[in-house]
Amino acid sequence: MSEAIGTAVHDPTFEEQLSPLLAPAYRAARSLLGDRTEAEDVVQEAALLAFRAYDSFAPGTNFRAWFFRILTNCCYGRHRQRRRRPQTVEFEDVPDLYLYTMMQQAGMYTDNANPAAAVLGKMEVEEIVAAIDALPEEYRAVAALYFVEDFSYEEIAQALDCPVGTVRSRLHRGRKLLQQALWKAAGERA
Amino acid sequence: MSDLSHFDCEATFRRLNDYLDRMLPPEEQRLVEQHLADCVTCAREYRFEQNVLDHIRGALRRLDVPPHLLRKVSEQLETARKQDP
Repeated sequence: MSEAIGTAVHDPTFEEQLSPLLAPAYRAARSLLGDRTEAEDVVQEAALLAFRAYDSFAPGTNFRAWFFRILTNCCYGRHRQRRRRPQTVEFEDVPDLYLYTMMQQAGMYTDNANPAAAVLGKMEVEEIVAAIDALPEEYRAVAALYFVEDFSYEEIAQALDCPVGTVRSRLHRGRKLLQQALWKAAGERA
Repeated sequence: MSDLSHFDCEATFRRLNDYLDRMLPPEEQRLVEQHLADCVTCAREYRFEQNVLDHIRGALRRLDVPPHLLRKVSEQLETARKQDP
């Protein structure tokens, strides 16, 4: 407490809070939309919307979750506009430990410090982005925030305006679907 | 009900994702850690899932961000500020 005495209190400006989020926002948008140009556009759109809505942001609350909520809504809007590509991941039940099991069955599993490298180590970033982008929408948004920006379940819930339990269950299923998509992608490139 | 003095493989497996994400209450976190220290099979599964997570996160963080993005956003905000002072 005493450290604060005599110290000027500096409330961060909008730009000071926004700037460090632009790179992760772009990466999340890339994962959600799968396209460089659209990701760039949507980050700019979200930044402008956030700027105009900044009066509604409660100081001291989570700016990151607030901004990513705007960003994901912008991404959803673009998806709705496009009514786009067919889902490439089947909406089927995927077993737990999918990749682990498939690698074991294929004789690719090695019990070392980096056991997933035999499959994931060879994949390009773009292939991983494409696998996330191919997830059904409700899983894609949770996965993008979780993998790109290391959000907690609570922050994802705030950003997507849904209960924490929904985040947990979507993330659980999204992980399995993503492992399935990555396994398929690895098989296609082999 | 799980025995709260120790977790078996099933109890540990049910909590594996939350454990990976450090979302477990401290006591459950401790019991999972204890089980992973004792069970080679569960430890192997946990290590694999953590490794998958690290690969995906590592790859996504290598995504190139357009170098002009910050400048473009700043210019856009500056224009908006002039229009809506």
